[in-house]
Amino acid sequence: MAIDAKMGGRPLPFPVGRLLTPTFSVTTGALVLIGLLVIVPLAGIATALASAEGPDAISDVFTGRIARNMLWVPLTNTFTIGFVVAASCVLLGGAVAWLVTMTDMPMRRTIGVLAALPFMIPTFAVALSWTVLFGDDRLGSASMGLFAQLGFDMPAWLAWGGVPVTLVLIAHLYSIAYMMIAAALVLVGRDMTAAAEIAGASRAQILRSIVFPVVTPTIIAAGALCFAEAVSSFSAPAILGLPVRFHTLATRAYGAIETGTPERGYVLIAVMIVVAGAFLALSAFLQRRGQAFTTVTGKAGQRGRMTLGGWKWPFALAALALVITTTIVPALALLFSSLSPRTGALFTDPTLHYWFGASDPAIAQGQAGVLRNPQLLHAVWVTLGVGAMTGVAALACGLVIGSAIARTKHGAMAQLLKQLSFLPLLVPGLAIGAAFIGFYGAPIGPLPSLYGTPAILVLAGVAATLPFAVQAVASARAQIAPDLEESARIAGAGPLRILGAITVPLAAGKLIAGFVLVFVKMVRDLDLVILLYTPQLPLLTVLAFRYASDGFAQFAHAIAVIILLVSVGAHLLASGFGRASQPWLHD
Amino acid sequence: MPPAIELSGVTKRFSDQVALDGIDLTVDHGAFCVLLGPSGCGKSTLLRTAAGLENPTSGAIRIAGKLVADVARGLHVAPGARDLGMVFQSYALWPHKTVRENITWPLRIAGLAEAERKSRLIEVAEMLNITPYLARYPSELSGGQQQRVAIARAIAPRPSLLLFDEPLSNLDARLRVEMRTELLTLHRQTDSTIVYVTHDQVEAMTMATQIVVMNEGRIEQDAATATLLSEPQTAFVAGFVGNPPANLLTLRRNGTGWALGAQTIAFHSLPLDHETVRAMVRPARIGLAKQPGERRVAARFVEALPFGAQHFIQLESDAGRITALVDDWQARAYGSGLYVELPARPDAVFDSDGARLT
Ligand SMILES: Nc1ncnc2c1ncn2[C@@H]1O[C@H](COP(=O)(O)OP(=O)(O)O)[C@@H](O)[C@H]1O
Ligand SMILES: [Mg+2]
Repeated sequence: MAIDAKMGGRPLPFPVGRLLTPTFSVTTGALVLIGLLVIVPLAGIATALASAEGPDAISDVFTGRIARNMLWVPLTNTFTIGFVVAASCVLLGGAVAWLVTMTDMPMRRTIGVLAALPFMIPTFAVALSWTVLFGDDRLGSASMGLFAQLGFDMPAWLAWGGVPVTLVLIAHLYSIAYMMIAAALVLVGRDMTAAAEIAGASRAQILRSIVFPVVTPTIIAAGALCFAEAVSSFSAPAILGLPVRFHTLATRAYGAIETGTPERGYVLIAVMIVVAGAFLALSAFLQRRGQAFTTVTGKAGQRGRMTLGGWKWPFALAALALVITTTIVPALALLFSSLSPRTGALFTDPTLHYWFGASDPAIAQGQAGVLRNPQLLHAVWVTLGVGAMTGVAALACGLVIGSAIARTKHGAMAQLLKQLSFLPLLVPGLAIGAAFIGFYGAPIGPLPSLYGTPAILVLAGVAATLPFAVQAVASARAQIAPDLEESARIAGAGPLRILGAITVPLAAGKLIAGFVLVFVKMVRDLDLVILLYTPQLPLLTVLAFRYASDGFAQFAHAIAVIILLVSVGAHLLASGFGRASQPWLHD
Repeated sequence: MPPAIELSGVTKRFSDQVALDGIDLTVDHGAFCVLLGPSGCGKSTLLRTAAGLENPTSGAIRIAGKLVADVARGLHVAPGARDLGMVFQSYALWPHKTVRENITWPLRIAGLAEAERKSRLIEVAEMLNITPYLARYPSELSGGQQQRVAIARAIAPRPSLLLFDEPLSNLDARLRVEMRTELLTLHRQTDSTIVYVTHDQVEAMTMATQIVVMNEGRIEQDAATATLLSEPQTAFVAGFVGNPPANLLTLRRNGTGWALGAQTIAFHSLPLDHETVRAMVRPARIGLAKQPGERRVAARFVEALPFGAQHFIQLESDAGRITALVDDWQARAYGSGLYVELPARPDAVFDSDGARLT
């Protein structure tokens, strides 16, 4: 009781009491959290670059003898991949979005549901499935893919390198473009095009002057996001590029840090941040201008559907082929591969050895099946534990930051908190990992190094997922009328009590959805944890990556199947909690 | 002059539903015709079909004497070629165009020269008091201002026929009253014909020269406002129009009298060749009494609503809810018993299907 009364805002006799007034303490807490999670580690990269070895590393990377291989070729590769992926995702995602929301295409509900799935399938799983199908014997028979086994002569460019990396990223990312563009197209109400029709505009004029301009800001945003995700990706180029020495900035940075020249790695990471961040910042700027015309009041009209006539089925089949190729095909490829007795022998004598088998010196150097392998079982628990802890911690931070934003309402502080908490979106996962290694990997004053502890994984995970946690809290808050909280404040309840008694119970659905999102991002992530991982703390994704690079494909694929199941299952669960993730499918 | 718009036998079927069921409607040039009916009765569909945004399933439509749709001949003139303007409930302003562009873009499509576009813009902007906002985007306007822009956009091409679909339903009460007056002024100034959809009968009564009451895709009655109140053609109209609507009592023939709930009452001039009829009795013609008597029905008091110097009294009886309008009223306890005295002759009588008998 006494504590509540104090937190209720009655001034305390000490000056320190000011820190305990609800608004002040919540805001301070939010700033400290953001500072420790986001600002300090990123500033760490900058400090490292300014340190003794920094300037040398910068000149080496930009102008030295190694510059071409270290920076310019990977940078060119990264940009090429980014642009091709962004353009293709916008085209494919936009086309599917248009078909699902604006036309009378048959099976559009099924296609819409499937089109949201690829984003839930981790990139590294898609990349591994690519090797199952298109791998060749360049790296020995272990990497023979299905088509090579069937006797096709796989061209090298299709098996490894830039082309497969690009295609795999497209298969993963077009799904984001679909979700974003579909949501924007829904805003183009039936009445908006009807008004143009009455004005005498032709179909082409309506598309050109009404529909396109309204969705353009979203198309730009979707393109920028796909571009940023593509240039930040580590797993796809690591699995499909490294074997043939095809490098992007991410793989080069990883290589530099792993081989004991971290400063060079930091330089490359800084370049990555600039490349990915610049595009996202540009799109955010265009978005802000565009917002002027994405929110229109008045009751939204019903949507009319364009009749496709004879094109109905061709479009439906093409869309169906796309969504199946990017969801069911990779999942089945991984599953079948994990059941094949030897690599290079898909579909012959299926075996469960790699799942349940006891150690047999004749197979895979005596490794037991994944579900019998103590190291792997340990990894399952570590992964789920780290995922769950990250989910809880991220949401807790999201709640503090969200309360601070709500309390400072429209002030400059709220704006600052918002901008800062969304900063990690601009930073590639690999870069966040590097920043945490750099800062928390060494003892800080009396505090020990966090390297090798679950704490560093959880902290980095919270930093990387902070934007999603803050977003989840914001949408949960939107469920609650502000006067509910305010009336509790008037009744004298302190911030913690309000959180526990009013906010959390009312917002539980959205919060659970937010937890699952963070959890899944963590469980399937490779980019963030690849630098933070230690053998004492095995994580599933890292093990799968290691197994794949060491030629134990079936184990890698079995683990990928497990991650895929956890990821898709949790996502479907979460979209059940969050319900209206695709409201346009329900009318 | 030919009628501004004429629908003959227009039916519109959506896959599983008949939205319009054989509509015959004529609206004369210069009329302010209001389509009135409960939500879902097909008002918007009628308007959209007239505009050419939907193709009728059968029937024909003429606008200013010119055939614009005829299913039998496969004729369907595009909306842009029908010489009409439409204001949507959602306003449907183009969010990426400024107010100026919203108004002038249709004029450009229509092929008007720059100078003409400019003078039209100035004219409608002044008429609707939106001159200060021409450079703004729709999202930077209040609901009332957006509404004005939507109207300005619709009238700028000077169509001979204006269609309004519940244009005021998103405005607050004060603005709604204000806009009604302005719409009437606009109607006078533009010399156009207006077809106006609403589910609000006050709106209909105050603005219309012709009211068309719709229900379940059919026209129940098409009349001038006064006629509609005094001479409802169907039981639906009797029970829908009026504030509050008249009482509709279900009577079953019992010898030469009529059973109302458990009581049998003598009524004059009711058609004896029907087993069941529905009698319309206006609230003002119902009296209240403390004692039983001839043509008196037992009832329980529910609620009294002041109406000027009078009171509307809500009562519950065996025969359902009854409303009376009385001059004197002393406060009573909820549920207390009293008697309702019915007039000897109902105001109108309908058969059990709702068609008017007398
Ligand atoms: N595009 C459509 N597809 C299917 N049914 C429709 C469509 N438009 C309207 N309807 C149906 O037709 C009926 C009439 O609708 P509407 O004309 O909008 O009614 P009102 O405007 O009077 O409220 C409703 O039952 C509605 O569900
Ligand atoms: Mg309607």
